[in-house]
Formats: sequence, C-alpha cells, structure tokens
Amino acid sequence: MSALLYIPFLALIFAIVIASAWLLSRYLFDVYTGKKGRLDKLFDPIDNFIYRIINADPLRQMSGWDYFFSVLVFSAFSAALCFAILLFQGYLPLNPQHFTGLSWSLALNTAISFVTNTNLQHYAGETTLSYLSQAAAIQFLQFSSAAIGLCVAVAVFRGFSGKFKGIGNFYYDYVRTITRVMLPIAAIAAIVLVAAGLPQTFSGYITANTIGGGSQTIAIGPIASLVSIMQLGTNGGGYFGANSASPFQNPSPFTNWFEVYLMVLFVTAMPFLFGRMAQNSREGHMLLIAMYAIYAINMAVAFYNVMQFGPGMEASIGAFSSTFWTVTSTSTMTGSLNASLASFNPLVILAALMGMFVQAAPGGIGVGIVYMLMYAILAVFIVGLMAGRTPEYLGAKILPSDIKRAVIVFVSHPIIILIPLAIAFSTGAAGAIGSGSIPNGFTRVLYEFTSAAANNGSDFLGTAANTAFFNISTGVVMLLGRFIAMAIMLIIAESMLKRPRAAEIGMRTDSLLFAGILVVSIMILVVLAFLPFMVLGPILSLLQGYGAI
Amino acid sequence: MGPYCLYYRDTVQSEKPTGAKRVEGNASGEHRKPQLKPLLVESFARMDPRRLKSNPVMFIVELSFIVVAVMAIDPGLIPVVSSPSQQPFYAYVAIIVLLTVWFSTISDSIAEAQIKATADSLKQIEHEVKARKVGADRKVTMVSSKSLRKGDTVLIQKGDYIPIDCVVMEGVAMVDESLLTGESAPVKKAPTDVLIGGSVLVSDSLVAKISADPGDTFLSKLISMVESTKRPKTPNETSISTLLIGFTAIFTIIIISILWLSVSLSLGVDLSVLMALYVCLLPTTIGALLPAIGISGIRRMSADKIIAKSGKAIETAGDTDVVLLDKTGTITFGSRIATNFIPLGKHTQKELGEASFLSSWYDDTPEGRSIIDLAYRDGYIPSVFCSIDRASAVEFSAVTRVSSVKLENPALFLLPKGGGRKSQRMTRMRKKVQQDIPIQDMNITKGAPDAIAQSAREVPAGFDEKVSMISSMGETAMAVAAGGEIIGLIRLKDQLKPGIKEKIDSVKAMGITPIMITGDQPLTAKSIASEVDIDEFVSKAKPETKIEVVKREQSNGRIVAMVGDGTNDAPALAAADAGLAMGSGTIAAKEAANMVDLESDPSKIIRVIILGKQLLMTRGAVTTFSISNDIAKYFAIVPVMFAALPVLGRINVLGLPPETTVLAALVFNAIIIPALIPLATRGVKLKPQNAMAIFMRNMLTYGVGGIILPFIGIELIGRIIMAL
Amino acid sequence: MKTMELVKTPLLLAIVSMLICGIAYPIAIALIAGGAFPFQANGEQITINGTVVGSHLMAQSFNSSVFFHPEPANFSASGVDPTITLAYAESQIPAVSNATGLSSSLLVGIVNNQSRYTMFFFGTKYVNVVNLNLYLINNYPAIYSKFTGHSA
Repeated sequence: MSALLYIPFLALIFAIVIASAWLLSRYLFDVYTGKKGRLDKLFDPIDNFIYRIINADPLRQMSGWDYFFSVLVFSAFSAALCFAILLFQGYLPLNPQHFTGLSWSLALNTAISFVTNTNLQHYAGETTLSYLSQAAAIQFLQFSSAAIGLCVAVAVFRGFSGKFKGIGNFYYDYVRTITRVMLPIAAIAAIVLVAAGLPQTFSGYITANTIGGGSQTIAIGPIASLVSIMQLGTNGGGYFGANSASPFQNPSPFTNWFEVYLMVLFVTAMPFLFGRMAQNSREGHMLLIAMYAIYAINMAVAFYNVMQFGPGMEASIGAFSSTFWTVTSTSTMTGSLNASLASFNPLVILAALMGMFVQAAPGGIGVGIVYMLMYAILAVFIVGLMAGRTPEYLGAKILPSDIKRAVIVFVSHPIIILIPLAIAFSTGAAGAIGSGSIPNGFTRVLYEFTSAAANNGSDFLGTAANTAFFNISTGVVMLLGRFIAMAIMLIIAESMLKRPRAAEIGMRTDSLLFAGILVVSIMILVVLAFLPFMVLGPILSLLQGYGAI
Repeated sequence: MGPYCLYYRDTVQSEKPTGAKRVEGNASGEHRKPQLKPLLVESFARMDPRRLKSNPVMFIVELSFIVVAVMAIDPGLIPVVSSPSQQPFYAYVAIIVLLTVWFSTISDSIAEAQIKATADSLKQIEHEVKARKVGADRKVTMVSSKSLRKGDTVLIQKGDYIPIDCVVMEGVAMVDESLLTGESAPVKKAPTDVLIGGSVLVSDSLVAKISADPGDTFLSKLISMVESTKRPKTPNETSISTLLIGFTAIFTIIIISILWLSVSLSLGVDLSVLMALYVCLLPTTIGALLPAIGISGIRRMSADKIIAKSGKAIETAGDTDVVLLDKTGTITFGSRIATNFIPLGKHTQKELGEASFLSSWYDDTPEGRSIIDLAYRDGYIPSVFCSIDRASAVEFSAVTRVSSVKLENPALFLLPKGGGRKSQRMTRMRKKVQQDIPIQDMNITKGAPDAIAQSAREVPAGFDEKVSMISSMGETAMAVAAGGEIIGLIRLKDQLKPGIKEKIDSVKAMGITPIMITGDQPLTAKSIASEVDIDEFVSKAKPETKIEVVKREQSNGRIVAMVGDGTNDAPALAAADAGLAMGSGTIAAKEAANMVDLESDPSKIIRVIILGKQLLMTRGAVTTFSISNDIAKYFAIVPVMFAALPVLGRINVLGLPPETTVLAALVFNAIIIPALIPLATRGVKLKPQNAMAIFMRNMLTYGVGGIILPFIGIELIGRIIMAL
Repeated sequence: MKTMELVKTPLLLAIVSMLICGIAYPIAIALIAGGAFPFQANGEQITINGTVVGSHLMAQSFNSSVFFHPEPANFSASGVDPTITLAYAESQIPAVSNATGLSSSLLVGIVNNQSRYTMFFFGTKYVNVVNLNLYLINNYPAIYSKFTGHSA
C-alpha cells in the first residue's frame, strides 16, 4: 500500500538535491573563477594569510604535471602527518580512553585510505582511535582529500572547456575550496546533525549504570563534525566500526535522508559546474543525466528482489532506506554503510559492485565527473567516428594521445582489482581470513579490492582484513586507484587547453542521444571488464539460492 | 546549317594524334580481379609471426593458436587445465583459431592486391613512346622515351605524345591534356610552360627540355606513393590501434586472472576454452580489418584518379568544416556565354550584332567565341566580313580593359602567312560572302562598360541603368562602340557546371560550409552564389585572398578544404587542411597540396570529402561492431566455462552444450572477418545527410546490430554444429 | 626557491590544513553544539536522580521481563540499536503484560503511541525500546520502581 509512496518521496528528495546542487554550482563557479563577491571581504584576508604562511603564489598557472605533483606531495605530507598521529596516539593528548598506537601496517593502511578519499577501515574507530586521531588525522584527511577531488575536477574542467588561460593553480584552488566551500558547508551540516541527535564533544566516553542494573560504556566524541564531512566529501569512513548503522551517526529517518542528501550534493553539483565552465550548460546536463541513469540502473538491480527487513539492519532505518543508502554510498564512492552488507541479497551487492566498477555514477567528489569525462572521450571516439568525422568533445578533436591516456585510466581499474584478487586467492591470504571460497568469500575479497581501487571504502571484510597482506595490498591499490587517474586526466586537460575548437557539426555531445550512448557504452565497458568475476561472486550466490551473502 | 558551321566545328574539335600509337590501359582498375594464386601465397606468407607482429591483436591470436595446438598434440604437456579426452575438441579449437588469423591476412592481401591493380592502371598514363631526341649537333634521332634523361632536349611535332615531363624552350603550340585533365579543349603552351608526359601535341611543334628522369616524374612519384606499403598510420588509425591494445590488455588480465583463480579455487576451467574466450573477446574483427580499411580508402581515391599523398589527408578531408570553391572552373565554366544584344540609342540589334561579330573575330577567348556564336545564330553576319583579315586588332589588356578591331578598305587581298588551318577556313568563308560591297574604315571597340564610356564621345541614355540592371542579375555587361559611338551592350552570362548545385547541396547537407571565391563584383558574385545556394562568398578576390580566407577560417577552429592549380595558389594549398591540386596545375601547386586530382576537375573536392567521411565511418563502424559483438560472446561462453559450477547453466541464454557453444562462438568470430571484407574495402555507404542522421543510422546498424547479430549467429552455428 | 615551491609549500599547507580542518573545525563545532544543543551534543544522556543510566540512542540490556527488550546484540549491524520493529515490540506484549499485570490493550496503545515510521509518514514502523521502557518507568512507578536501581 505504501510502496507507491516511495516514488513521490524520492522525487521530492532528488528535486531538493538537484535544486540545491544547481545553486551550489553557481557558487562554486564564482569561487573557482575568482569572481568578486560580497563574501570576499570575509574570506580574502583568510586566504591571503594562508598563501603567505605557506609561501605560495596563487596566481601562477600550473602545468598538468605541476598541478599533479603539488597534489601528490601535499597528499604525501598529509598522509605522513596522519600516519604519525595514528602510530603515536598513545603519547599524544586528547586520548581519554588511553588507546595505544596502531600497528604500522594498520596505520599505513589507514593513512593511505583516508588520504585517497577511500576510507576503507580495517579498524573499529570507537575502540581504536583517540579523539585526536578521529579529529586531527581522520577529519583533516576527509577535508583535504575531498578538497583535492574538487580541485582536480576544476582543473580538468578548465582544460576541457578550452575557455581558460590555464588549468589553474593548486594552492589557489585548494585554499579557496577549504575556506569558502568545504568548511562552511560542513559546519552548517554538522550543526544540523547535532540538532538531529549526533553527539559532538571532547569529553570522555560515558559510563552509565543501566536501568537493568548493569554498567554500560557509551562511546562518544566529535562525531557530528566527522559525519558531516565524511558524507559531504564522499569519504565514508565513520566514527564507529558500524559506520552509519550506529545510532550516534544516524539516529533517525531524518538524519538518514539528510546524510543521503549530503552524499549526493557535491557529485550532483559537479556536472552543473562543468556545464557552466564549458559555457554550454547542456553539456553538463547530459553528463548528469548519464550519471543518474547508471545510478538508477544500479538501484533497479538492487531493488529487483523485494527487500526484506532482517538481521544486520537497524529497525529505525528499515530495509528500503538501507538498500537505497548502500547503492547510493557505493555509487558515490562514499562507502558509508547504515546496515551490514551481509544482510543484503546478492543483487544489492552486485549493484554496489557495479557502482564501484563504473566510478562515475555519479562517482566520488570531483573524481566521479573526471572519470565520466574519461568515459566520454572513449565513447565519443568509439562511436563518434560513425558520424564521418574525427570525433570531437566540446569541439576539440580527440587525438591519439587522448585515447592512449584515457585507455590507461580505464585499463588500470580492472588491473588493480584483478591482479591482487588473484594473488589473494592463490597465496591463501583470502583463506586465512575465512574468505577463501566461492561465492561468498570471493565476493567479499572482490568487493574489498574493488572498493579500494575505486577509492570507495565500502567495507565487506572490516576488521578481519587487518592483516599485513590486506593492509599493504589494499594500500597499494588505493594509491594507484587515486593517483593514476588524477595524473593522466590532468595531463589530458592540459593538452586540451589550447586545442582549436570547432563548431560541433559531428555527433553532438550535448544531446540526449549522447547521454544514452554514454550510458550504454559505460555499461558495455564494465560488463566486458568484470562479467566473469560478477558471475563467480554475487551471481553465483544468487543462483545457489543464498538469500544473503 | 549555315556557311560557318564548318568553322565552328573545327575550332572545337581537336585532331587525333597521328604519331606514336599506344596501348590503352584499363584506367579504372576496378574491373581487375586480383589473381587468386598469388593472393593465397601472400596471405599464407603474412601468417609468419615475424610479419604478423605489426598487428598485435592477430599476433596474440596466433600465440593462442600455438597454446591450443600444443594441447591438441599432447594434452599432457599442459596438465591441470586440460584433459586427454578432449583432444579432438582442442584440435577443432586450434583449427578455427588459425583460420581466424588466416582470414585476417587474406583481407590484408586482398586490399594490397587491389591497390596494386589500381596503381598499375594509373601507370598506363605514362607509357613508353618513341621520341625525337635533339642531339648537340641539332640532329634528331628517334629514341625510346625510357632512354631520355633529365636535361635532354626533344623535338615534339604535331600529333606526338609528350614523352615525359618537360619544359618548353622554343615554339608555341596547342596541347591536348584531356587524358590527364579530362578537359577537352587544348591548352596553349609557350616557352617556360610545363608539359606533362602522356599529353598530346595537337598543333605546331615545340622544342622542350626534359625535366625528370623516367620513373621520377611527378606523376610516377605520386603513383608509387599509392603503392607504398610503408604508410604512416593516420591519427584515427593510431587512436583505434591504441584502443585495441587497451582492450587486449584488459582481456589478457581477465584471462590470466580467471586461469589463476580457477587453479586456486578448482573451478575446472579448461585452458582451451579460456583461449577460445580470449580469441573471441579480442577485437579480432577490427584488428583484422583495420589495415584493409585504410588501404582501401586510398585505393578508392586512386580509382577516382585522385592521389592522396597520405592517409591523413583523406581523413582530414572527411573532417572538413569549410570548403573554398572557386567560382570560375568549379561552379561555372571558365567562360561566360553571350546571351543577347541590347542596342542603345538609335542603333538596331543587327547593327550591334554585326559590330560585335567583327569585334570578336580576333578574340580567341571563349567569351569572344560565344559572341560570334550568338551573332551567327541570330543571323548577324556582317557584309564587311570579306575584309576581316585586313583588319588590325588590339588585344584585350588588363589596363585598358577594352579590345578593338580596325577595318580598312581592302585594296589588297592577302592571305595570312603560312598554311595554317585558320587561314584555310577563312578562305572558304570569304568565298561565300559577297565581295562587292564597299567597305568603309571602321574602328570597333568592345570591353568593360566604364572603360568604353570613358573613351566614347557620349554616353547614350539608359546606359548606366542597363549596365547595373545586368550586373544585378549576376551577369556581365560588355559595351560595344563603333567609331567612338556606343551602340549597345552584350549580355554575358555565367554558365553553371552541370550537377554542381546538387553537389553543393550535398556538402551543405553534411554540415559543411561552402565559400565561393570569385574576382567578380559583389552583385554578380551574390547572384551566382544564390543560384547554387551558397551563403558565403568572397568577391573581388585577389590572388592572396584564398590564403587570407584559409587563415581566417582556421583561426576560428575550422578545418578548411580547397582546390588550386596556379603557383599563386600554392601557399593557400599548403596552409589548407585538405588541399586538392589539379593535375594540370603547376608543380608548385601540386607539391603544396596534399592531394592531386589527375583529371583536374575542381568539383572533385566534394568527392574527396565524401571519401574521407566514408573512411572514418568505416573505421568507426567496424570498431563499434567488433566491441558490441563481445557482449554476446561473453554471455555465451562464461556460463559454460566453469566445469565445476554446473549451476551457471541457468544463465546459459543460448542453451547450447558447452563445447558446441565454444566452437560456435569461435566460428562466428572467425567468419565475421571475411564477411566484412567487402564492407571494409567498399566502405560504409554514405548518403549526404547531417552528421547526426548519418550517425544514428550507423549506430543502429553497427552498434545495436553488433549486439544482437552474434546472439543469433552463434545460436544458428551451434545448431548446425549439433546437427553435424 | 624551486624546492620551496615543490616541497616546503605542500608541507606547510598540510600542517595548516590539519590545524584548521582537524583541530579548529571540530572544536568549534563542539563549542557551538555544546552551547546550542547540549543535550544532543553529549549523547542524549538519560539521567535518573542525577545518575547517568544510558542514552536514548543506545540499546541497553533490560534483564527483567517487565521490560521490552531490544534485539540481541548480534542482530543489528551496530549491535546497539535501541529500536525494534513494531511487530517485534507487539510480540513482546503478552510477556510484559504477564509480568506487570498491565493489560495487553493498554500496552498495545502505549507501544503504538511510541512507534514511528521509517519513512517519516509511511513505510514500516519501529519503536525505541529505551524510550518505551522509560515511558513505562515514569508512568507506572509502582510496578517498575523495584526493577530500577535508580528509582525515586
């Protein structure tokens, strides 16, 4: 009876998402094009102060390599700071629970995981991390990795659009992203979350004498500030091991859907921003339509079997919201969970995997649309020739060098998933943590590496993966998954910056037809790259009649 | 037929060469079927792995063959992932995989053989003839043209073939270049002009200096370019190859991972099945046909007598956004045609017609001839014609912009010197005209209206109005004055080339902007342009206008195609993205352009654009088709490849048993290559339409079709295999 | 200068970022939250007679059969889900009724009153067990006082 209400409900939610993403894209456009505005009075002194401290010239145009190198070195230092805090948290302040430092491999994995916006967690936060670690290590990297995603996307947009002098300056983009975009929006969201019931305090865990006469330790801390940036920045790494299934991260239907809203806000704004920067809003709309179409396909797969409420789900969230959240958080590379993955039927897992194979539906903050542009280059080239012209994107001819680079980005994804997957099974590393068989163990390990490669962080193995093999292998995969694509897409963008632009008379990329072709091409590419492994995992589970993995 | 029909006919016809005879070659090359035996030999030779290495996809297929062949010979050599009972199956797989390689090499061989045949037919244009070599002692000896060397001097007489490219040193003569240019009117050649080997001298005689060794002429160099097997890849070919390597890499990783996992998890995958899946997934269709598509593109151009200096030039032509079209020669015939006489003042049509006839007698231009034609048709034959050869003529000059003829009372009757054809004709005509009419001195001038008006005693009423009325209709007015008095105007009209409007329409349908370039006044240009539906034109063009337009359009990011023949076109041809030089044009123009039309038909630039688009479409169509095919092959093989997982049979959409499925998919994968060879060599059909419409049609045929067809094909082949 | 741009600037930026995003931001939010929403910011603690007895948002075990019980710890993903489905709550009514002597119909009314929709106004219904039991404790002290260590 109420089934029909889900549709108008979702329509309302996404109407709000799209409207606010559109408004956000206007603001982002002003931020990244340096348009003067009323807020400059407030922010300019702060920004200039930071530029002075770090000794950066924010107006110097960077080459693609310069930009990438700045991102890489900055990420390396950030990760090193985080690594040090995690390793030595036992000797550092803000540790009321007196947690000891992490093992080096777990600290390394965690530092890499957060600096790459992955947030794969081989630990349970409430029993492992001090307040300082949760704030200065985790939240700091959640901000910086999300901001880097936006910066790289904007630099790539500048190159693709061909309407800018250069691809920009990383320090200019990054500082403005933090001060003018991420901090204010995350702060507002955090206050809303506190009002809705999320704790935010630095006093120690609560010891309660329960009504039944027992004793209960209630883990608490700076939770709201973390949850707001983890969802907004598509980070997904929660304060608690149970992530957003924990009542302190997600206490009510309101917080549940507000957090869904935060997850999709920026990734929906990015195509709008792309359209603005390309001075053809339809180009952005078509990418958004393609992203949402694949997102909808993933949803359709997940909801193909009627979801039943069952073990592994929270009663206040329910089966529908759990499934919707899981698909959203994997499609957006957030990776946060509000239910146990083990509670889902195999098709939900398949849908989650598809989101992480595609990485662009709508994908992670900033990087999602960058992947979409990679797909656009490939799709435009493969089918565009059939219009009888050398294919063009935004009027720029697709050159052999573009194809070479886009192919490397595309090929790298299956390689960094499949090679470690095969190693995990052939060396017995998967078996050692009880995941050595098909289909369920296989699905979990496939999911782990896919999540790492896509910088998603949705986690099927959890603390079980805290072994040297998985800490190191997923660490390497996360780094490759993050930085290969960034480097190459920045270089493509730089090469497109000065390329002559033609009036588009070939296949039009601002047409609905193109959006459709993009969707079909992406689905074909993903099926080609991953079908046998989907078969050995979730599809086999389904055929063998498992209700849940 | 009146008395002047003889004269008329003679001027148009050229005489057939009487000198050296030659064997007519089959110029098209299209009808030559490559011979089967060398084709087979070549296709087998190409299967040598060392030669196949240049095609990575097919090279890997051949490696896969070796793996399966080893299994077929002795399964024990590759344990764990094979079983001795499957030996016959391994043999089948090995054979089909090898056939796949062979189908690929045969398509290359066919394309190469076809282009060889086309090049051979082009070479017929230049052939061995006897030549009159002038020695140091001015003695003439008959030698073979093959023995001539650069710097030699030859005498060419009426009726001779020009033996080889040379430069005129002495004499003036008419040369028929129709074999090279398709233009039937002979061309006047004077010292320093270039003569092209293969054309025919139709009047007088010339002394010329050989400018190139045999086999090193411009034409033979162009032709050998067609034959060359070392063609650099075009940008789009490079892109496709890169894409194919990417797909190959992905599928290699997938196959290795499956093998690895299968061994670790005991999934029971047979290596031969895995190899079969690998070969099916590899983009063998496009990998096999990509070289043939490129070669065939060049061949189709050559068959149209267009030599592309590189494959890139053809591709670029397909990308054209703007095409510059010369009005004269491309859109209209080189000449204007007189359409009627408009007498002014008290003068009559007859008066004007006769004066025009006389004034045009010494005017050898096509315009001049058309005036005589018109006057003759209307019966305005002047009675004073008998004294025409006593008249003195002043030729048209760009400075005065008039030409004139002065007739005097014939006291003496003299034939022109020499016994040329023209004087014989005059004699014949004069006999037919009364000779007893008194002739007065008369000075007739014709030319540009403003120039005539300047020198005239007075300008008659309505002169300016009539002149501007004519030019507003896109036509040209020529004023005629007799004895310093303007007697009327001749109306000259541009003549559109047949079919040019349709060609321009098709260009526009494809979204390409034609720009007409003309030296005419804006009004005249506008009128012609609107007659052929051209929206953009440049009037009052100067020699440097073309390059200005090319640069201007390119700075707007547009790809420009143009045609040129003169030396002053060379910079523009070099700057244009796709430059088509006329075979009859200067060497400078031909060197600057990236394509040369041996038939010298400027409107062929449109044909070039279409061929370029066809080439790009064919590449795209086969690539899309090849990749779309993989879906069906995947869905066919994956459910049956894990012997340890029979439950996967529930998603076996084709419902065929495992071995049959694998063989059927392999067979489909192999035979699709020869099935598409005709498409690869002929090219995808192109109707001039806008890009989106073309795209939609191809997308449905090769994209959607590419997904559906293999499901049907594999199922059918599977049924056939089961029936056997 | 070059080394400065390449190494020192990113290092300084990392430190500045950490101070702003990792220290200043969470502390600022904690200060604002503590001032504006002290109840929520501190974990919605339940205090009975000055003793913290738990949080409205954390499940706790209720030993006696006079209480409604959350799902066992291993049922939900968090293990501390304070909410149960309405159906599960209703299934506990006979036992609670038995133990307390409160009529089933009264308990049905209370449970339904405490229940909320998962989708704001539709979807399945759930009940917060902690709140439900607190309601019973506060409204039926005669029955419940002996089962709570902190009762008035």
